[in-house]
Amino acid sequence: MSVQSASASDRGARSGSRRRASAQAVTVAAVAVLSLLVIAAVAAPWIAPYDPLHQSLGAALQGPSTAHWLGTDDLGRDVLSRLVYGCRIAVIAAAEATSIAVVLGVPLGLFVGYRGGWWDWAVMRLVEAVVSIPGIMVAIVIIAILGTGLHRAMIALGILFSTSFLRLARGVVLTEREEVYVKLARVVGASDRRILLRHIFPNIAPPLIVQVTLTVGAVLLAEAGLSFIGLGVQPPDASWGTMLNTAASYMELNWFLAIPPGIAIVATVLSINLLGDVIRDSIGRGVAVGVKPTTPVARFEAAAPASPESAAPPPRRDDDVLRIEGLQVVVSAKEGGEVPVITDLSLAIARGETLGLVGESGSGKTLTGLSILGLIGAGGRSTHGTITLNGTELRALTERQREQVRGNAVAMVFQDPTTSLNPAFTVGNQIAEVLRAKKGLSRKAAWARTIELIDRVGIPRPAERARAYPHELSGGMAQRVAIARALSCNPALLIADEPTTALDVTVQQEILDLFRDLQDEFGMAILFVTHDLAVAADICDRIAVMYAGEIVEVAPVDTLFATPRHPYTRGLLSAMPHASDRDPPLPTIRGTVPRPGSWPRGCRFSDRCGFRTDACGQRVPLTGTGRLVRCLRAGDPELEAGR
Amino acid sequence: MLRLVVQRLLALVPLLFIVSVLTFSLTSLLPDDPADLIIGQWGTEQQFEMVRERLGLNEPLVPRYVHWLERALHGDLGTSFFNSVEVSDAVMQRLPVTLSLTAVSALIALLVGLAAGIAAALRPRSWTDRLATFGATIGQAIPNFWFGILLVAVFAVTLRWFPATGFTPLSSSPWEWLRSVTLPAIALGLASSAAIARQVRSAMVGVLQQDYIRAARAQGLSRRRVIFKHALTNALVPVVAVLSFQITVLLGGALIVEQVFAINGLGTLAITAVRRQDIPMIQGLVLVMVVLVVIVQLATDVVYGFLNPKARPS
Repeated sequence: MSVQSASASDRGARSGSRRRASAQAVTVAAVAVLSLLVIAAVAAPWIAPYDPLHQSLGAALQGPSTAHWLGTDDLGRDVLSRLVYGCRIAVIAAAEATSIAVVLGVPLGLFVGYRGGWWDWAVMRLVEAVVSIPGIMVAIVIIAILGTGLHRAMIALGILFSTSFLRLARGVVLTEREEVYVKLARVVGASDRRILLRHIFPNIAPPLIVQVTLTVGAVLLAEAGLSFIGLGVQPPDASWGTMLNTAASYMELNWFLAIPPGIAIVATVLSINLLGDVIRDSIGRGVAVGVKPTTPVARFEAAAPASPESAAPPPRRDDDVLRIEGLQVVVSAKEGGEVPVITDLSLAIARGETLGLVGESGSGKTLTGLSILGLIGAGGRSTHGTITLNGTELRALTERQREQVRGNAVAMVFQDPTTSLNPAFTVGNQIAEVLRAKKGLSRKAAWARTIELIDRVGIPRPAERARAYPHELSGGMAQRVAIARALSCNPALLIADEPTTALDVTVQQEILDLFRDLQDEFGMAILFVTHDLAVAADICDRIAVMYAGEIVEVAPVDTLFATPRHPYTRGLLSAMPHASDRDPPLPTIRGTVPRPGSWPRGCRFSDRCGFRTDACGQRVPLTGTGRLVRCLRAGDPELEAGR
Repeated sequence: MLRLVVQRLLALVPLLFIVSVLTFSLTSLLPDDPADLIIGQWGTEQQFEMVRERLGLNEPLVPRYVHWLERALHGDLGTSFFNSVEVSDAVMQRLPVTLSLTAVSALIALLVGLAAGIAAALRPRSWTDRLATFGATIGQAIPNFWFGILLVAVFAVTLRWFPATGFTPLSSSPWEWLRSVTLPAIALGLASSAAIARQVRSAMVGVLQQDYIRAARAQGLSRRRVIFKHALTNALVPVVAVLSFQITVLLGGALIVEQVFAINGLGTLAITAVRRQDIPMIQGLVLVMVVLVVIVQLATDVVYGFLNPKARPS
C-alpha cells in the first residue's frame, strides 16, 4: 500500500506540474506568434523581399523556390511579401474594429445601465434586434450603406461588436450600482459622472480585457471573411482574405496558394484565443480566493487485512444478508496520491434487521453504503476486505455482474428525494423503467406494477401521481416514490442514506413508519445511515457508531443508549436534545471530525477525547463479543464514572 | 404546446417591430438619393421625379413605413433598384439553397459536437478529453471558407469524390444534392461543432455528478442507459440554446461559404446587392433572415419545453 501510494502521489504531482508546464509553453508560443505578427506589421517594408504589388506575369503561379520562398500568385506577385504586408492589414483591422467597438459600446452601456428607465429599455431592444440577425449579415448591411473597403468594413464590424461591449458595461453597472460603496458615494453627494468614472469604471476592466481578446479573434475571422467575399480590403492590396480569394480561383493550378494565408489566420486567431483563455483563468483566480490547500500530515499507514489490530469479524449468523469484513476504501487526494477514508470496517445485517450507521458528517457513512453498491465514484476504490451479499462476494464481481446485483438484490434510497429523481422524466416512468430493465416486464405490466407500488408507499391517487414530474411533488411524496422505486425489485438489502434528513419534521415520522411497515411486509435487511440518534433510536435494532472512517462501537439500540462505552458515543448521546430538560445548554463535542489524511496516528478520537492517556497513541482494535467497542479505556472505572 | 408557441410569438412582436423599422430606415440612411442610384448621373429632372414618386420617396416618413410594412406583410418586398426583378422572387428562389446548406451543416455540427462532447465528458482529463478540447480550440480558429478551400483541394480536385463547385437541388436528384452539399456543409459546420462540443462536455460533466445519475446507477440501470437517457436528456437543455445560437451563426457563415463553392444562394444575392447598394434587395434579405431566426427560436423554445418539464406552462 505505501509503495503504491507513493508512486501514485508521484504520478499525480508529476502530471500536475507537466500540465502547468504545458500551459506555460502554450502561453509563450501564443505571445511569440502575436509578437511576430506585430513585428512583421511594423517592419513589413524591410522584411518583405519584394514589393507586394509588383507583378511579373512571366513568373505567375509558381511553387515555392529559393527566389520566392512561398511561390507566386496569379499575377506573379511574391506570396511571402504579400503575407507579410497582410500582417499589417490584420493588425490595423483588429485595432480599428476593436477600438470602435469599445469606444461605442462601453460609454453607451455605462450610460444606459446607470440611467435605466426608458433609455435602457429602448437601447436594449435595439441591441436585441441587431443580435438576432446573423453578424455577417449586419456587417453586410452596414457596408451596403457605407461602401466597401478596409476602413469602412472595420467600422461595420466595430458597430456590430459594440453590442457585446454595451451589454458587458451595462451588466457591470447594474451589479455595481447596488453595491454599498456606490450608494455611499451617492449619499455624500458625488456627481453621477464622478461615480461612474471613479467607482464603477474600474470594475469593468477585468471582463473588458477578456472581451477584447474574444473580439480581436472574431474581428480577424470576420475581416478575412469580408475581404474574401470582396467587401473588405479591395484588390490589389494584400490581405489574408483577398489572398485566399485568389487562391480559391486557382485551386486546380496551384493549391499551395491557399496554405500560407490560411495558416497565418489560424495561427493568429488561435494565439489570441489561447491567450484570452489564460487571461480569463488568471482573472478568475484573482477574484475567487481559493481555500488554501492543506497537505495531508502524517500519512496514514493502512491496516493490512491480516494485521493484529484488525478486528475479529462479526460472529456469523445463519440469516445474515450482508457481511462486510475488513473493508478499506481509499480516494485520490487533490494533492496527489491516495488517502484512506474507510478502514477495517466490518459489520453484518440479518434478514428483517435494521442496522443503524451513525456518526457526524465526514465519518464515512455514505461511502460505506456506496461501497456495497460498488459506486464509490471516480477517484475512489476499495482496496481490502470482502462484502458478501446473500453469499456472493461483491468485490470479486465484474462490473456487469454488479449491475445485475444492483436494484435486484440491493437498492438505495438517498438523502434528498428532489435531487435523486431525474427532473426530466415522470416519476412513474422512472419506476417502470427499472421494472422493465431489471425484471423484463412488458411496458403495460411494468406500468400496472408501478401504480401498485406507488399506492403501496401511501400516495393517494397513484395512477394520476405516476404521471407527475418530480418537481410537482412535495419532498415527502418524492421520497415515497424513491422508496417505491428502490423496492420495485424486492431487494434483500435496502440502504437508506439519511432518508428523512431533507424532509420536514412532520413528514419524517411518516416516512420512518413506512420503512417499518415495508420491512414487515418484504422482510428486507436495512442499513440505515443517519447522523440523527433520535431517528436511529426509533427505527434501528442495532447501531454501529462510525468515527473518522472506522466503527468505534456496535451495540443493540437499547444497550447503546443505556450504557454507551466509547467516549465518542457518549458525546453524541449527551449532545442529543431532550424535550424534558431545556435549561442546561447542550454539551457539544469540541473540535470537528478530522479530515481523511490528517487522522491521528493512534486512536482517531484521541485529540477530542477527555479521557486520553499515553497508550491512546497506538492503534486500537475493535474488541468485545456481542457489543463491540474501540477504546482502550472501555470499562475503566474513571470513564464509567464520568457518565 | 400551442400555448407555449403563442406565448413566445407574442414576446417576439417588439423584436419584429424594431427590426422592421431598422430595415425600413436603411433607405433613409443611404448617403445618396436612391433615385440617383437608379437613374445615374445623366437623368432629367422629370425622370428623377417619376422615380421618387414610384418609390414613394415624396411621402412623409411614417405613412411610407406603414405602406412598406403593409406590402412586406403581404410578401411584396418591392423591386430591385437595378432591374425589374421582384425582391421576393429573387429571395425565394435562392432560399432553399442556403437553407439546405445551413440545415445539413447544423446537423453535422450537432452530431459531431455531441459525439466529441460526450466522449470527452465520460473521461475528464483523459487523452480523449484533451484531444477533443484541443480539437475544439483549433476548430474555432479555422475560418470556414479556408477549410472549404482545403476540402475542395483534397476531396474535389485531387480525389474527385465530390464536385468542386455548384449546387444540385434536392428535388432534381437527392444523390447529387447530397454530393454537392456535403463539402460546403462540413466546411461551414466545423466551428459550430467545436462550440457545441465544448457546451456538451461541460453540461455532461455537470449532469454526471448529479444525485439522480448515481441513484439510477444504484438501481442497477446500465451505464449506457444512464448516460444516454438520464444524463443526456438533462445535458441537452443548455445545448439546445447553444445550437439555436449556432444556427444563426451558420446562416451568416453560409453567405461566405457559398462563395467558395460557387453556390448561387442568398450569399451571392447579398454580395451583388451590397456592391450596387440595392437597398430593396438588402431589406428583403434582412427580413428573411429575421423570420428564419424567429422560427429557429420558436423551435428552440418548443424543444426546450420538451426536454425540461419545469419550463412548460402549466
